[in-house]
Amino acid sequence: MSRTYDLVHRTRYVYTAPVTGSYGRTTTTPRDLPDQRCLTTALVVDPEPADTAAHTDWFGNRTTYYAVTTPHTELVVTARSRVEVTRVAPDPATLPDHAWETVAERVATGAVGTDLLAVREAVLPSAHVATTDAVRAWAAPTFTAGRPLAEVLVELAHRIRTELAYRSGSTTVRTTQDELLAQGAGVCQDFAHLMIAALRAHGLPARYVSGYIETRPRPGREKLRGADASHAWVAAWLPGAGWVDVDPTNDRFVDDQYVVLGWGRDYDDVPPLRGVIFTERSGSSLTVEVDLVPAGSDPFL
Amino acid sequence: MTDLLSSVPLAGADGPDGRRGGRRGGGVAHRPDWGWLEDPADAPTPEVLARAREAADRLLADHGVTYGGDRRDGDDAWRLDPEPVIVDEGEWQRLDRGLAQRALLLDAVLQDLYGPRRLLSDRLLPPHVVLAHPGFLREVDGVRLPGRRELVLTATDLVRDASGGWCAVADRTQAPSGAGYAMEDRRVVSQVMAGVYRQASIARLGPFFRALRTALHAVRPASSDGAGAIVLLTSGEASETAFDQAYLASMLGLPLVEGSDLVVRGGRVWLHGLDGLERVDVVLRRLDADWCDPLDLRAGSRLGVPGLVRAVRGGAVSVVNPLGSSVLESPALLRYLPRLARVVLDEDLLLPSAPTWWCGEEAARAHVLTRLDRLTLLPTTHGPGSGAVLGWQLDAAGRAALRARIEAEPWAWVAQEPVGPSGPVVDLAAAEPEGPDALVPPPTGDLLPAPGAPGTPGGRAADAAGGPAAAVLRTFAVAHHEGYTVMAGGLARVSAGPVVSSALGAAAKDVWVLANPDAARPPTQEMPVVTVTGVARRDGTGDDRGGTVEMSVEMFDEGPQRVTGLSPRTAENLWWLGRYAERAEDTVRVLRAVGDRWDDYHRTPWSPGGRALAALLASLVPAAVPAGASAGTSDGTSVVPVAGPPPGTVDADGRLVAPRLRDLMLDDRTPGTVAASVRRSARAAGAVRDQLSPDAFGPLARIERALRDERLRVRPGSPGQGPAVTAGLRGTLDRVLEGLLALAGVSSEGLVRDSGWRFLDAGRRIERAQHLVTTLLGTVVQARPPQVDDLVLESVLLVHESAMTYRRRQQGRGVEAGGLLELLVQDRTNPRSLAYQLHRLRDDLTAVPGTGRAPDQRDHLLADVVDLVEELEAVPVAAAVEDDGRRGRLAEQLESMRWRLLALADEVERVHMARPLPVRSLEDPWDAGDLRGPLDGRGTP
Repeated sequence: MSRTYDLVHRTRYVYTAPVTGSYGRTTTTPRDLPDQRCLTTALVVDPEPADTAAHTDWFGNRTTYYAVTTPHTELVVTARSRVEVTRVAPDPATLPDHAWETVAERVATGAVGTDLLAVREAVLPSAHVATTDAVRAWAAPTFTAGRPLAEVLVELAHRIRTELAYRSGSTTVRTTQDELLAQGAGVCQDFAHLMIAALRAHGLPARYVSGYIETRPRPGREKLRGADASHAWVAAWLPGAGWVDVDPTNDRFVDDQYVVLGWGRDYDDVPPLRGVIFTERSGSSLTVEVDLVPAGSDPFL
Repeated sequence: MTDLLSSVPLAGADGPDGRRGGRRGGGVAHRPDWGWLEDPADAPTPEVLARAREAADRLLADHGVTYGGDRRDGDDAWRLDPEPVIVDEGEWQRLDRGLAQRALLLDAVLQDLYGPRRLLSDRLLPPHVVLAHPGFLREVDGVRLPGRRELVLTATDLVRDASGGWCAVADRTQAPSGAGYAMEDRRVVSQVMAGVYRQASIARLGPFFRALRTALHAVRPASSDGAGAIVLLTSGEASETAFDQAYLASMLGLPLVEGSDLVVRGGRVWLHGLDGLERVDVVLRRLDADWCDPLDLRAGSRLGVPGLVRAVRGGAVSVVNPLGSSVLESPALLRYLPRLARVVLDEDLLLPSAPTWWCGEEAARAHVLTRLDRLTLLPTTHGPGSGAVLGWQLDAAGRAALRARIEAEPWAWVAQEPVGPSGPVVDLAAAEPEGPDALVPPPTGDLLPAPGAPGTPGGRAADAAGGPAAAVLRTFAVAHHEGYTVMAGGLARVSAGPVVSSALGAAAKDVWVLANPDAARPPTQEMPVVTVTGVARRDGTGDDRGGTVEMSVEMFDEGPQRVTGLSPRTAENLWWLGRYAERAEDTVRVLRAVGDRWDDYHRTPWSPGGRALAALLASLVPAAVPAGASAGTSDGTSVVPVAGPPPGTVDADGRLVAPRLRDLMLDDRTPGTVAASVRRSARAAGAVRDQLSPDAFGPLARIERALRDERLRVRPGSPGQGPAVTAGLRGTLDRVLEGLLALAGVSSEGLVRDSGWRFLDAGRRIERAQHLVTTLLGTVVQARPPQVDDLVLESVLLVHESAMTYRRRQQGRGVEAGGLLELLVQDRTNPRSLAYQLHRLRDDLTAVPGTGRAPDQRDHLLADVVDLVEELEAVPVAAAVEDDGRRGRLAEQLESMRWRLLALADEVERVHMARPLPVRSLEDPWDAGDLRGPLDGRGTP
């Protein structure tokens, strides 16, 4: 069984002062995976860049560099893709039965097969993820002795969904896990970061996945087009199963309702777009539109 | 007996392991062995050394050699102890082999880490060592330099261990500093220790720099036609090692550029030149890699070039050392080099490292935790040498806290056993940190020895009683042909305490590798070849036989660069150098003239002389007159009443209020003073060192010294009293003026008439023109009784260096305003006149290209002023005195000139010095709130 989607991700910056140069890198092209294929993809930058360069990064993500060197006051970056997804969410009951301590031990001793570097990298702190005392204290009740890692994943996701409130705009790119726990509210990236921090604090590899989740209209309603959004979740490493994707925001394992863009140690490795501009004054307004619909729907944008 | 660094002569042969043989007595020598001198009586005595130290300080100041950014009064002077470290050739050859092997090994490791990564395994090099290091840049994975090597330039810090052998304590592979200092130290020491220097046959430093130049050419991108520029990317004039960077650039003949001088277009790197964009092939960077690109590396860096990583990945530019090379600086690596050498090179490591443990290994961690009080702990995630903890300085609580930190993140810590000939030597971020790290406190406060604690280096290490206690030798190696060329010598640093760090006051020493102690050869002098705008020049004194010629020829075996290297930023610095130097000179002349009048007339305020004095005080030095006293408005126009002194210049008793003339000379914190203008000149000069003759720095240093000497001198008498106003003034002003004239001489006689010189000259001309018009407005507009005016106008002529000419022409008659105006405004043969300045300005400006807006407005303003000058009817307007005693028409015309000259200066900056717009980061999508919230059970949001 597979699902095929049409995906549009459009980022628009409007500046208050003319910009003479705009250099950016975007990670909005879905990568190919055993259970996901990017059938077609195109990236359009307006104004037309003088230079673009596609690059597959350290993590295998598909990124694109652009440099716009004509003066402009509005920049629009649009990625369009058709993606086929065959992903089936794992049944937690059938996941390999390894106690979390055993997994941590195997990571520490290197008994991890061919993936040593990726696994070791995923237990280290990173730009946005720190294993602090507060994180340890929050996570402690879940990490009971001998508990299977699969269970730990289920419970962490469930606790995040139930203990923390989703509040749009409540955090920024600089919010730490300690601040998130203190305020009890955040967004999907924060939830992913918290779960990653909890796992790494126990020597368990975890990485950050950037992507989308398909939303469906309420029964009898038309889908509101372009109102989809970026999403983020966690991939944890489990011997025998590899990287298992868990979405703490929705308290579920990732299936064919999701499209993966790419992954990294945390948000810093895979922001949808980052850039610098040459301009006299700061000041810009940013709008993002995302549309993820079954392939063949009326085109959006 | 052993020495901190120098070789020690021994009766017995060297041991088989390359270490020094048996010991002679105990303890540590602090003096090199001079036994090789033909006549032992030539060995420098303490008196000779003391004189040499003074001479060295002077030479260093004259050359503007600084360390530690912009500080006043010599706090930033580079400290050099001229008594050299002397190492004999046999010992050095072994060291050379060890260092070359080490460089080869590090290069092989670097190639592997950004390539196949076969070495990354718990058996060879634990992955955490690399993956957790901030210098491992995933963004440049897979990128290779053209040619065989990745590691082009490397430095290794060495100490002697207790048995006298050499031992590496750290490798500097990011952007090693100190080679420029080493060359400068050699230049100075060869002069101040000429007596012994000439008897020695000392290995030269030149081959190293030639090898570096060759290496830079060798890594040009494959796509290059060989014509692109090679530039040195500096971390900026505020950097601790700004001198080292600028000096290296001038030695190698490379333009010194900042990130904002470069731009990426079409996937290539370009230099913003005055004539347009010039392609860049190779960037020798002195900026830490993560600051090099605000797009793909550290967001928010204003020192880098957006898109540089893209250009590097595309193979369009070669960065040296490559981005990511600092991963080799991880102190944990020292632990693994021996086994890596066996696997990679199939050789044993020749040069041992200080015993090092990486706490990520369980056994090592256990060992370290039991010996915290004897080890130096180094965090692996900091920059090199920063954040070090000296275990023996911690109390029990401190050790417990450290233990907890290590146990929480064991992989983040390395322990090193301090080695040293007589006690621990700790190598702390010596000439580091590079780049903006210098803006943050490098080592965290609690980790530095407390002031006054035992072992705290205080003051000049070499002067401390008992001599230096610790020393580190920084060696340099550069990829060359099949292997590496090691600098024959290096940069030694000595300290009174165990911590050796230039930032903490360690003194440098030159390192002499003695070729053959038994056969003194003919004296040769080694002088750096400094390229000034494409012309090779020598500097120094004495004999110039020997290596100099060889060097100046070979330095250019690759051909001179065809690039101008003149960026708008450079143009701006030269322009301001000209302006500030002229401003200093103008202020000096004003102070001389006013000071003389003060001495003559301050006791008789109601005499014509006293009234002239008051008028001059109010119009020429308003800033020196107590608050509210100034009758001159900010634009210099004066509304002085005819009768009596201007308000504020006299006190209630009718006596003249003492003006703060000395402050106007000495206070370097207040803009417009002589000292402040000199300081700004020196800063501007330092920022364009690669464009100037080294001779330009001597006068600036001497001026600052003269001002400093006077500032420190306590003058008798209360400052508010008459004679104290000018105490020490005239003598100091004369010394300052001498220096300024020397500087003017260097710029007029010592520089090629290229665009750079044009900006320097234009700056001087606009400044002089503005000053002239302003002083005329303040002094000549107001008509006064003839005896008063005669004295005022004579001073005006003196201020503008035209009194002699006027007297000669007027044959002894009193000074008249009309004649004065003709001479100072209209006479094109008078180099002090306004007409002359405008003429020169026009020549200068038409000879330089513009980068910003069109020059129409600039030319318009200049032409207007020229017309105003030509149309000025000097004698009639001088005679047109109105009822209020003012020459109204003159005031109008001078005012027309004045504002146009101000506007002209602004316009020149807009046309020629348009800097790139600032770089800003785009708002992050996260912050824009574009995020998916949780869905309900049906998958709807």
